[in-house]
Amino acid sequence: MIRAVLVMNTQGRPRITKFYEFWPVEKQHEAIRNVFSVLCSRAEHVSNFVDAESIFGPDSRLVYKHFATLYFVLIFDSSENELAMLDLIQVFVETLDKCFRNVCELDIVFNYSKIHAILDEIIFGGQVLETSSTEVMKAVEEITKLEAASNAINLVSKSVSNWRSR
Amino acid sequence: MALSGMRGLSVFISDIRNCQNKEQERLRVDKELGNIRTRFKNEKALTPYEKKKYVWKMLYIYMLGYDVDFGHMEAVSLISAPKYPEKQVGYIVTSSLLNENHDFLRLAINTVRNDIIGRNETFQCLALTMVGNIGGREFAESLAPDVQKLLISSSCRPLVRKKAALCLLRLYRKNPDVVNVDGWADRMAQLLDERDLGVLTSSMSLLVALVSNNHEAYWSCLPKCVKILERLARNQDIPQEYTYYGIPSPWLQVKTMRALQYFPTVEDPNTRRSLFEVLQRILMGTDVVKNVNKNNASHAVLFEALALVMHLDAEKEMMTQCVSLLGKFISVREPNIRYLGLENMTRMLMVTDVQDIIKKHQAQIITSLKDPDISIRRRALDLLYGMCDISNAKDIVEELLQYLKTAEFAMREELSLKAAILAEKFAPDLSWYVDVILQLIDKAGDFVSDDIWFRVVQFVTNNEDLQPYAAAKAREYLDKPAIHETMVKVSAYILGEFGHLIARRPGCSPKELFNLIHEKLPTVSTYTVSILLSTYAKILMHSHPPDPELQNQIWSIFKKYESSIEVEIQQRAVEYYALSRKGEALMDILAEMPKFPERQSALIKKAEDTEVDTAEQSAIKLRAQQQAQTSNALVVQDQRPANGAPPLSVGQLNLVKMPSMSSNVDDYPADPRLSQENGALATVNSQPPPADILSDLLGPLAIEGPPSSSVHPQPSPTSELEGTAVESTAIVPAGVQANSVQPIGNISERFQALCVKDSGVLYEDPYIQIGVKAEWRAHHGHMVLFLGNKNTAPLVSVQAIMLPPTHLKMELSLVPETIPPRAQVQCPLEVINLRPSRDVSVLDFSYKFGNDMVNVKLRLPAVLNKFLQPISISAEEFFPQWRSLPGPPLKLQEVVRGVRPLPLIEMANLFNSFHVTVCPGLDPNPNNLVASTTFYSESTRAMLCLIRIETDPADRTQLRMTVASGDPTVTFELKEFIKEQLIIIPTATRVLTQPPPPTPPVVQPTSAPAAPTDPGALLAALL
Repeated sequence: MIRAVLVMNTQGRPRITKFYEFWPVEKQHEAIRNVFSVLCSRAEHVSNFVDAESIFGPDSRLVYKHFATLYFVLIFDSSENELAMLDLIQVFVETLDKCFRNVCELDIVFNYSKIHAILDEIIFGGQVLETSSTEVMKAVEEITKLEAASNAINLVSKSVSNWRSR
Repeated sequence: MALSGMRGLSVFISDIRNCQNKEQERLRVDKELGNIRTRFKNEKALTPYEKKKYVWKMLYIYMLGYDVDFGHMEAVSLISAPKYPEKQVGYIVTSSLLNENHDFLRLAINTVRNDIIGRNETFQCLALTMVGNIGGREFAESLAPDVQKLLISSSCRPLVRKKAALCLLRLYRKNPDVVNVDGWADRMAQLLDERDLGVLTSSMSLLVALVSNNHEAYWSCLPKCVKILERLARNQDIPQEYTYYGIPSPWLQVKTMRALQYFPTVEDPNTRRSLFEVLQRILMGTDVVKNVNKNNASHAVLFEALALVMHLDAEKEMMTQCVSLLGKFISVREPNIRYLGLENMTRMLMVTDVQDIIKKHQAQIITSLKDPDISIRRRALDLLYGMCDISNAKDIVEELLQYLKTAEFAMREELSLKAAILAEKFAPDLSWYVDVILQLIDKAGDFVSDDIWFRVVQFVTNNEDLQPYAAAKAREYLDKPAIHETMVKVSAYILGEFGHLIARRPGCSPKELFNLIHEKLPTVSTYTVSILLSTYAKILMHSHPPDPELQNQIWSIFKKYESSIEVEIQQRAVEYYALSRKGEALMDILAEMPKFPERQSALIKKAEDTEVDTAEQSAIKLRAQQQAQTSNALVVQDQRPANGAPPLSVGQLNLVKMPSMSSNVDDYPADPRLSQENGALATVNSQPPPADILSDLLGPLAIEGPPSSSVHPQPSPTSELEGTAVESTAIVPAGVQANSVQPIGNISERFQALCVKDSGVLYEDPYIQIGVKAEWRAHHGHMVLFLGNKNTAPLVSVQAIMLPPTHLKMELSLVPETIPPRAQVQCPLEVINLRPSRDVSVLDFSYKFGNDMVNVKLRLPAVLNKFLQPISISAEEFFPQWRSLPGPPLKLQEVVRGVRPLPLIEMANLFNSFHVTVCPGLDPNPNNLVASTTFYSESTRAMLCLIRIETDPADRTQLRMTVASGDPTVTFELKEFIKEQLIIIPTATRVLTQPPPPTPPVVQPTSAPAAPTDPGALLAALL
């Protein structure tokens, strides 16, 4: 089972965090800090694995990938295959790339809610839900359409109510 | 709108980004939280859009690490909004902010259920996602059937069904009963025929969870899994979008192979053949290529295939193939593959007999110890540790020592511990072991725990041949300019004990040794100073003929430390000074340390414990357990890598020669009954002695420690004066050690505690807990023994035999022969006190668990003070009574020495705890105590007892005690009882580092009136 997904930048600022087990918020942040201090001291071209038991307790593994200014981190237990988890990070990033055309940190910062929707289509309750970025994109586009549709209605009703109150 | 951006949210995020520091950020966050809070107060005025915006802001703030402890209700209430955007944000935020036990979640169950059974697919997806993330037991109970329906429904879109599969997995984890539905296993098998890869992947995850708990029900899924593998890996029959860098869905392949690892075997020959064909194809058809992502994907599949091959215990041919593949991997350029290659080799050690093939790669593995990546170095260290045996120990340990010099701090402790353990387990000869440990201390003293140097001292003490060598080595290290303090400790200790063996070598005269060691004194801690003082005393003793100059020098040091503010140092200095003036007599007192009793290494024990703790809950481990059930494979049983080495206990015996006990053989109890100490377990078991919980040097040091000091390398005068007493306590651990079941907690402490209270635990071990509850009325007692089985298997052949002393009449109700799993049995026990006596009754308790026959003899807290009732009397009543009892035998007086010094108030508390009431103000002298109590027995009925204690403020270790009553036996017994309480050091106040207090045999009066033939009394007396 996947225990957590962390996306943070190379200064250690969290960009997206999602814990699939309950962790109190201060623990979450302690863990994020600890992960960052390990990751920032790692050289390029080393393996993508880091011992995580000292941070996340027994039976926990950590894989990460470094893209430009961001670290993508997955924490999971021994029921998952390490390399498959690494592939999953790649799927997540490729999907983001398709959504935003050359995704960069700013896209993730300002589309906070959209990233959540994408992540929810890939990982579900700590399990791999979908591995095809094409399928993920389809699902996300559906959601976007739905939202756009109801927004239109929203805007109308809002302007009407504004008009009335005047 | 959530996806197309909200202006307010963007502005807020920009603001946060523009904050220069954490303080500014906090201010901005607090401002926003305040704003949101006020807005939420007037909820009616909020448009759904605004609500949504604020809730997203809250989630953002939460991610930044601030606790958001309000607005949860608003988030949950959005779930029931009719429109998609609000509902969506309600679901997403709820599942991020709340945990499964949150009260608000209950409020939402109905809405969630309506969304799941409703017709709107997008609502279904939202609801399933939320339940899949945070659904708890209540959700499992109320939603499982609906979720199952969605999963197997043919009219549902795959988008919904794949979520339903994983949602069901979550609910199953919360309540395994959700799949206890007729025909569920068949439906599960049908799900594996699914063509949609998304649904199939999710279903496979569900299957993995199900079979990991119970594979029996899902045998019909096994051939289908093999079919799926064939479809993917062989036929590559898969839609384009599920091909990842040319690999047909690596995730599904991996999950499928994971599921197969939970089945013990593949019995059907056709299925088996097909599976092996696929596995062979995967193993052979995978190459390392340029593209990193492709590599990762193909090797994800490959490593899973390796694990499956290991599990299925294929023909030797395939195993060899696996090892040679791994051998290739550990030298490739790609770091991830190197990492996994090492890790899988370590796993392979665990299940199969391939050490010899792995050993061929030793050089490469050692190279990995120098890899730039710490993750890889760690795996290399694990592997080297696992593959080490007698044949390669020297090479491997020397590599580890080399590496220690350059290793980062994060690894040094683990590294030195592992090196020490390997050196101990596989030393080809003992001098090499000594070399290794001394090098360890030299190179990484800060990371060498006390256990490590204690152990080397233990070896040297127990092996005469080794002593001159160790002394010479220690001498060499002392020459180095700056040595670690641990090195000072160990060298000083060894040279003190064995320095005289090398006295004739150049530079090793007592005087030279002394000077060398003394140089270090100014730089060491007080703990080490006390070791050095002992060393000086020993050197002094060993200098023949006495060297007056050295003598004066050492004496002046002792003199100097006589006024040390450290009690330990001061005491040693005073005692050694006094002793060393005795001349020849010193020889007897400061003689060489006796040999340590045999015991398992604390280090190895520690390592085993951590290995068991961290052992992964993987398919491989599961398999190891399965194997352990069917075969008696020794190695698998304790879940350590096979090393082809002799079993642990044999290795130990080889290393440490059996101590020759000729010198103190007399201290061993000749009577076998004696070795059945109170609570010492006499185990009828042929297995080698297992780990002693309190094992090792902390124990052996008890031999050295006088009762008054903490850790002390030599017998101090006090311990020597009581000679045999101390020695015999040192023997105790040796007796205890021969048992396979160790009690939890100190039996004697538990007994002591129960003597002053009426309920508590009498005894506990890994299998059973025995509790006691008692009520006392006059000379009657009603006790209940609670026998609790802690296991999931029954305890059989349970027997409880009372061995009461003659003065107690005891009736124990029938104890059942079997205690069912996790059950507690109550056994009432009636007690009648016939006569005054201090003898203690003993419960001879035995049971059988598996092959362990456990027998313990437990003292029962039906002790004299239980038959006392507090009574407070006035001066008018006291003095006439006191005077009317003229002298012996009704009134006895005794001067008691060796009392543990207690402030008067504490002594009064102690008396009160035994139901002896202290009557303040009766004695005009403030240093005296007067107390009274009533003693009940059948023969004496209620008997008033009066006690007077006169203490000497100048010397708290002695007092005069007068006890009076109308019955001579009561007087005598009560006097002796109080004396015992005053002399024995109560366990509760003992400092941890101290050795267990010797139960002073001298306290037992020879005039005890109990009949010597009484078995209970005999045993009790031994306790």
